[in-house]
Amino acid sequence: MRGADYVIKRGFFALVTVFVAITINFFLFRVLPGTAVTDLSRVPHASPQLKHALTVEFGLDKPKWEQYLIYLKNLLHGNMGISFAYQQPVTHLLFNDLKNTIPMVTVGTVAAIVVGVITGVLSAWRRGSVPDHVSTNTAIFAYAFPTQWLGLMLLIIFAGTLPAGGMSNPFLFGPEPFWQHLGDIAQHMILPALTLTLTAYGSYTLVVRSSMLETLGEDYVLTARAKGLPPRRVVRRHAFRNALLPVVTLVALDLGYIVGGALLIEVIFSWPGIGLAMYDAIGQRDYPMLQGGFLIPPLR
Amino acid sequence: MTLPLQDPLLSAEGQGQPSSRSGFFRTVLRERKAAVVGLAIIAFFVVLSIIAPYIAPYSVTEPSCAVYAPPSAQHWLGCDDGGIDMLSLLMVGGRISMIVGFAATLVAMIIGGGVGILSGYFSGWIDVSLMRVTDYLLVIPDLVLMIVIADLWGASLFHVIIVIGILEWTSTARIIRAQVMSVRERAYVKRARGMGSGNFRIVWRHILPQVGPLLIANTVLTIAIAIYLETALAFLGLEDPTAVTWGTILEHAFERTAISSGAWWAIVPAGFAIAAVIVGCFLFGQAVEDALNPRLKVAHLSLRPWRLRPLVGRGRDAI
Amino acid sequence: MSLLEVTGLHVWFEPPHAAEVHAVQGVSFALDAGERFGLVGESGCGKTTTILALMGLLPPNSSAAGEVLINGQNILAGGEDSVQPYRWKDVAMVFQGAMNALNPVKKVGWQIAEPMAFHGVAQGATARKRAGELLEMVGIPAAAGERYPHEFSGGMRQRAAIAMALACEPKILLADEPTTALDVMVQAQILELLTGLSRDLGLALVLVTHDLPVVAQVCERAAVMYAGEIVEAGPTDTLYHAPRHPYTRLLFAATPDLYGQDAVISIPGAPPRLDSEVAGCPFRPRCDVPLERCADEHPDLRLVGAAHCAACHRNDLVVAP
Repeated sequence: MRGADYVIKRGFFALVTVFVAITINFFLFRVLPGTAVTDLSRVPHASPQLKHALTVEFGLDKPKWEQYLIYLKNLLHGNMGISFAYQQPVTHLLFNDLKNTIPMVTVGTVAAIVVGVITGVLSAWRRGSVPDHVSTNTAIFAYAFPTQWLGLMLLIIFAGTLPAGGMSNPFLFGPEPFWQHLGDIAQHMILPALTLTLTAYGSYTLVVRSSMLETLGEDYVLTARAKGLPPRRVVRRHAFRNALLPVVTLVALDLGYIVGGALLIEVIFSWPGIGLAMYDAIGQRDYPMLQGGFLIPPLR
Repeated sequence: MTLPLQDPLLSAEGQGQPSSRSGFFRTVLRERKAAVVGLAIIAFFVVLSIIAPYIAPYSVTEPSCAVYAPPSAQHWLGCDDGGIDMLSLLMVGGRISMIVGFAATLVAMIIGGGVGILSGYFSGWIDVSLMRVTDYLLVIPDLVLMIVIADLWGASLFHVIIVIGILEWTSTARIIRAQVMSVRERAYVKRARGMGSGNFRIVWRHILPQVGPLLIANTVLTIAIAIYLETALAFLGLEDPTAVTWGTILEHAFERTAISSGAWWAIVPAGFAIAAVIVGCFLFGQAVEDALNPRLKVAHLSLRPWRLRPLVGRGRDAI
Repeated sequence: MSLLEVTGLHVWFEPPHAAEVHAVQGVSFALDAGERFGLVGESGCGKTTTILALMGLLPPNSSAAGEVLINGQNILAGGEDSVQPYRWKDVAMVFQGAMNALNPVKKVGWQIAEPMAFHGVAQGATARKRAGELLEMVGIPAAAGERYPHEFSGGMRQRAAIAMALACEPKILLADEPTTALDVMVQAQILELLTGLSRDLGLALVLVTHDLPVVAQVCERAAVMYAGEIVEAGPTDTLYHAPRHPYTRLLFAATPDLYGQDAVISIPGAPPRLDSEVAGCPFRPRCDVPLERCADEHPDLRLVGAAHCAACHRNDLVVAP
């Protein structure tokens, strides 16, 4: 019963937060000068019919607060307007971009977690020794180097051996076998995902190390040791799971930042995902895209 | 983006909390090498920033060598695409980057520290409403804010400072608030209130000294984040492109195809400089934070267990 | 040959930025099966460290010397590795504060059965059944083994810890302050349990506590520790009625008597720091009857009666104390 209460409460707060985010998003863009932004119908080279249709759809000739309500209604229907730059529905474009970003970010993050956990546990086990210092300081440095710099360095090192940009070979088209396409995409994914791993793993290493050290100081670990269990079993059966709890929290918190970090990576590697779309939209002042795109991080 | 790194002290007889603040920092420096290294790095870059305009070998506005000239005896770090000496760029850029970092942190500290103290000390509806505000501020996508400001008021360093400050103050506020709340419950503070001391006096004389070290640790860590954010914002073109900062150095290198020209010297040094400052801040800030939260638990398992000493003779004087 | 023989046990702690702490300074005692032995002293005197050392449960930055013989075998001879096989099978421990000694995310029954499987005492379903029997033996329904520690009350957790300690049928049970932080009624039950187990199973019990009435109730023999050393040892009755060390006398006098009219005396001062050598008798600063030699001569533990020894220069005086 208490558990359900808690979930409902948290769910409610999350909903409120999302609502506030949408509202802020809406008004933030309306703050900008000129009807360039407020006017979602101002799609360049749009036909008069399109303009008219958009005006009606978003109530652009009505007062602000009505626009807001209409905007919400359209949002619920998945309608976010037409991109200025691509003349296509924003929702459709964002969906495609998201489809490209998620695999790359997932691979990079999972790898970062795995590397972080392994190095963290080993470091805690060998606390104070040279491998521990090396591992910990490397983690700190990896975290400290700007993401874009790491990406550029990887480009310098691997230019020539691994694809330097894009998600797939533009010349590889036609009725090729599916696996070949997949392999091609995978090859292109290596560098961007690797950059994400390098930039993210450091924080996991440090958290796991610290958490493991603390867990190893718990009384029940001493009990396990007293039972005559060998150290490896004690760590595996008793300490490991408890030590990993903070990592879960960290991952949840980091999810938002990872998408942000992916922005820099996508720009460097021209990976056609949400990040690159936003970057282009910034440059092109494609407000409908921006407005739609920035709803995504708060939705975590 | 906070990294908790708690380093358990090995003995319960380790440092308790000394009453004097300067004693505290002296202890931290004496016992933790990391703090000394960190402080040294920070000091190095601060000094470098101050004297940069005087020791930079070449101008950062006038070209002095060929486009993407490789490192040589005259130009230790080569030149960028405009023929400007990289070493000078790095020095002057560092100066600006540090200034931006410190200024943004100052903004964040003033707002965050203020909110934290007010929230923690007064509690009640002040606390609740302030915390609500911070929650909703976290929801604003950082980049949207930056774009809006860039569009409205133009992208300048000043706006970068403001935006970073706005983005960073919430975490400071939270930490300070928690600390203030715990200090407020201590016996001597309650006594002071019972005696009728004014709020300001209590905050100034009793709470601030206790919160001080934590504030300093947090400040240093925020500087690291501020510098990091500056490079990110510069890279995305949301900063004044004519400014010379480490961030714009990287951005120019990317935009102007340094890689395909094979000009690694336009990229590598800047990255190392940024990383060095951030690592320095991190080492010092974490060391102070660890000293404030000593972990008294000893790890029961370790690679090297206790050792046996040989017993010579019997009785008390055996060893 | 006694079941447990401790000879000249020393333990040093090595803190990173401070001097070495000599926490246990030459402790020796012996125990037979079925005997209940108490180790008393104030906080910090080294009693917990002593019994931890008996199982080699010392932290990484420490060192030890001396012999711990179980049935004649020195289990400390090779350090941590040599002690491991004896743990839980020959000697087991009930820790102070069973609240934390149990793993919060594992079921109680599982924790009791775990060492059984490892030491080859029982496997799988048999082990689970045995765990249930052990719980019943300590007064907890066997079905409670399916629960987690936080669902147990303090007293129940302590009992579960005792059941867990008995999992591999050890001959020696070390109990570190088993009744501290429990209320008086539960204390009595736990003590009765321990006494009963010792009698029925022939367990040798070492009971560490600062609570003198507990020792008086449970243990036939006891040793009083001060500043890392044993200052007096003998039958509990003798220690209570005819102590031969000022500390023992003051310690027993300091215990408030529910019905007595005497004022409660406390011992002023504090024990010496253990990170430097102490000249003479470590108790001298707080002693109420010091002699001149106590300042520079360290008193050795000497026989002063039947199975009764004490470390005090006053026992050399010909006149009865």
